[in-house]
Amino acid sequence: MVPAAKRVFFRSYDVRRAGVDNSSVAASSARHALSPMAPAMADTPAFDHLRSLLQRCALELAFVDPEGDDRRRQLQDLIAELADDISATSPPPPVQAAMEQAAEWIAAGPINQQQLARFSAWEPWMAEAITAWERGFTLPAWPAETIEAASPAGMPSQPSQSLPDENVTVLPAGTDAEFMRLFCVEAEELLQDIEQGVLTLETSPSDSDTLATVFRAFHTFKGNAGAMKLVTLQAVAHELESLLDAARRGKRLLDRNAIDTVLAGADIFSRYAAEAVHQLDGNDVGRPLPLAIPAVIASVHAVLASPSKPPPAEVAAAPATGPTATVPSKAGTPPAPDAGIPASSTAATSAAGSKSSSTPPLRSASSSAASVRVDTRKLDGLVDLVGELVIAESMVAQASLTSADEHLARLLGHLRGITRDLQRTAMSMRMVPIRGAFQKMTRLVRDTAHELGKDIRLELKGEETELDRTVIEEIGDPLVHMIRNAADHGIELPDERKAAGKPAAGTIRLEAFHEGGFVVIRLRDDGRGLDPAKLRAKAIERGLITADAQLTAREAFDMIFAPGFSTASRVTDLSGRGVGMDVVRRNIERLRGKVEIDSEPGSGTSFTIFMPLTLAIIEGLIVGVGEQRFVIPTLSVRESFRPQSDHVTTVQGRGELVDVRGRLVPLLRLGDHLGVAAGIRDPHRGIVVVVEAGHERRCLLVDELLGKQEVVIKSLGETFVSQKVFAGAAILGDGRVGLILDATALVRLSRRNTETAA
Amino acid sequence: MSPTETTAKASGPDAGKYLVFTLSGERYAVPVLAVREIIRLCPITPVATMPPHIRGVINLRGRVIPLVDLRVRFSLSAPPDHDRTCIIVTQVASAAGGKRPYAVVVDGVEEVATYDQSDLLPTPDFGGAVDVRFITGMAHAAEQVITLIDLDTVAAHDPLDALEPSITAPDTSEDA
Repeated sequence: MVPAAKRVFFRSYDVRRAGVDNSSVAASSARHALSPMAPAMADTPAFDHLRSLLQRCALELAFVDPEGDDRRRQLQDLIAELADDISATSPPPPVQAAMEQAAEWIAAGPINQQQLARFSAWEPWMAEAITAWERGFTLPAWPAETIEAASPAGMPSQPSQSLPDENVTVLPAGTDAEFMRLFCVEAEELLQDIEQGVLTLETSPSDSDTLATVFRAFHTFKGNAGAMKLVTLQAVAHELESLLDAARRGKRLLDRNAIDTVLAGADIFSRYAAEAVHQLDGNDVGRPLPLAIPAVIASVHAVLASPSKPPPAEVAAAPATGPTATVPSKAGTPPAPDAGIPASSTAATSAAGSKSSSTPPLRSASSSAASVRVDTRKLDGLVDLVGELVIAESMVAQASLTSADEHLARLLGHLRGITRDLQRTAMSMRMVPIRGAFQKMTRLVRDTAHELGKDIRLELKGEETELDRTVIEEIGDPLVHMIRNAADHGIELPDERKAAGKPAAGTIRLEAFHEGGFVVIRLRDDGRGLDPAKLRAKAIERGLITADAQLTAREAFDMIFAPGFSTASRVTDLSGRGVGMDVVRRNIERLRGKVEIDSEPGSGTSFTIFMPLTLAIIEGLIVGVGEQRFVIPTLSVRESFRPQSDHVTTVQGRGELVDVRGRLVPLLRLGDHLGVAAGIRDPHRGIVVVVEAGHERRCLLVDELLGKQEVVIKSLGETFVSQKVFAGAAILGDGRVGLILDATALVRLSRRNTETAA
Repeated sequence: MSPTETTAKASGPDAGKYLVFTLSGERYAVPVLAVREIIRLCPITPVATMPPHIRGVINLRGRVIPLVDLRVRFSLSAPPDHDRTCIIVTQVASAAGGKRPYAVVVDGVEEVATYDQSDLLPTPDFGGAVDVRFITGMAHAAEQVITLIDLDTVAAHDPLDALEPSITAPDTSEDA
């Protein structure tokens, strides 16, 4: 990432130098008109030295971290050096004054957005001024407007620490809750388009299709915010829209600063939307939300004022690609609040409606197909009904088996076909590609790598893999956590990597695919890997295992999922508080998924998440215990068998153990645990089902296996919220309700019972 | 009973139509507006770890609905199910807002009766002998006294009354 930014910077810098006389700075109104200056110094090498110092300042500015202090000190040193050298050569007074001004700014404290805005106006001015001074030309006009814009009215020349955040009233009086929700839902979609688009632009800044998509997204945003009377948001959207409009029309190349600004703007919207939903749900109503709106607006102004022009090659390329020239139906008119776009319209309709056929094809990142927004409850209702239809249909088919009527059999076959299709279609309606969730990670990796000073590439594969919308929503947080972990603990610093003979840039690969009725999401990094011995030592230190415990490598890796375990030797902001991975595993298991870990010390770690395709249906093993039938999710079943008489041993006071391929696993008599009179007491006559939850296993003793079946999961409802043994219920083939066992709860239950018994 | 629990019902029962049913020979009623349908006893799936008055769940046209035995809930002697035993499917207030289905087992449905305000009495003072949490009041009509039940409160107490999953440890000695 850093090299790319460097390249972009140098390119734009050179162009800027080449175009001294038509820069936007010269065009800005001059508060301090400067008089022509005679050359005070004809020594070119000295000027070159000043220029190189200034260029280094510019470089520092390009990479300055608003939060960190290291770069600031380097910048301060450079500016001090530059100031010394300049004052040693009797400069024209304005140059001297500008230099003193810069020294004052840098001494004032951390480089915030406002400071950055000032410096990014100051630096090109200095470059021009030095050239003008060298050649004896008229000094350029001081870009007072930009500098002033960066300092709010009435502010002393000493810059304050940072621009105050603006407190936004999230839900102004009279806000229609329904409309607001729609606004937020749409905002989320638009933000995804924006974020993805902007990150594409970072690598290919002149991609006209992407530019148009991002521009349109902000435009729609502005319209929606206007319709919701969110004036401040509308203003931010307007500013960002102008910035993108300039880029779209080939007037400027989106450099790193511009992209950061756009992303900061997008963050404002996303924070706003999240807070609005939070308050709409009745939480903290009326709480004001501080948003960095002034800072973002200032930095848009600064970016627009800084004389960046696309290199000639890019300028030529832009019109050649065509679409940019045809899109801007509104390019000529200044972007105005567009209240004509109602908040209720979808992105698809507003984009299509206002831009008609001249709209270039959207990138695959944004949904292009016509769509209808449907309340998920309606969808769930439909899925329920279809499930019932399937059961009713099979009951009718069962009843007609006795009939010899061939015509009836044919009709029933036809009905069966339609029912299955209907079921498939109903299920697929909740399925969406995982693309959105994956693409959010691009931004995460970019920001995390930047923060950690690492160089990390994210490779995505299988983004088109579809799974249930709810699963996608819920998988987001665990993924974020795992990716942060991989970036923070997995991937080494560039130097360390080089020393280990690896490429300096680390790679995180995120892929999704279908496998045997599950969606598999695999996260693999090529970092330092996990060291089983270290993990074991840590687990002993934390008291998670006893000192004499024998662990296989995989069991050792599994320790990172144990509560209170953190492998980080230092605690960072990002991860390492040890609350992470156990929550990740719990969340995944709550979604009836599971996560496995594998690692090769020195060459990386991989996490494999298995998720059900949908939360509405699971594949279950139907088992019979006495009169009752239970459903065990196949995901938690490892194997099932009828134990031989020497497989079961009884340990005094510790209950029964079953020898499963040399490993002793506690036996759980399901009937006893669930208060059902089991038909079979003798384990050798029953069936043992080995279930797994986390890294613990239990052998469930059941009477019989009745088969494997896909069942529609139903919630047990409020009456049963306090029970933890069953994950839900399902209607079985004969119309009875079967309860779905939760392996995690069974393990916990039996552990407690064993402890009390012991 | 604590005063707060009784004052909650200070408004007393509303006049209107009630569905009258019997529980162990006593007559009870619920507002007919809360009743969705009356069905015959159907296969019940018991749910372990729940208190005894929760019989389990039933399948009502694809919906999984809790089934509560009001006889056990009110500590009445519960005769075994017989041919008049039936299930009343009702709607009760959901904690999440709105309504949710809730089914109760009763010994038999009697009639739909209309009670005027003059027929209705507030919950009498039973002197602490009777659990009045679930009673909105009494109806006195046609020489009979009928207890009016507040099913919303009955349903709301189910999760609170549910036992901790404290199933006794399996006795392994017999197999040893």
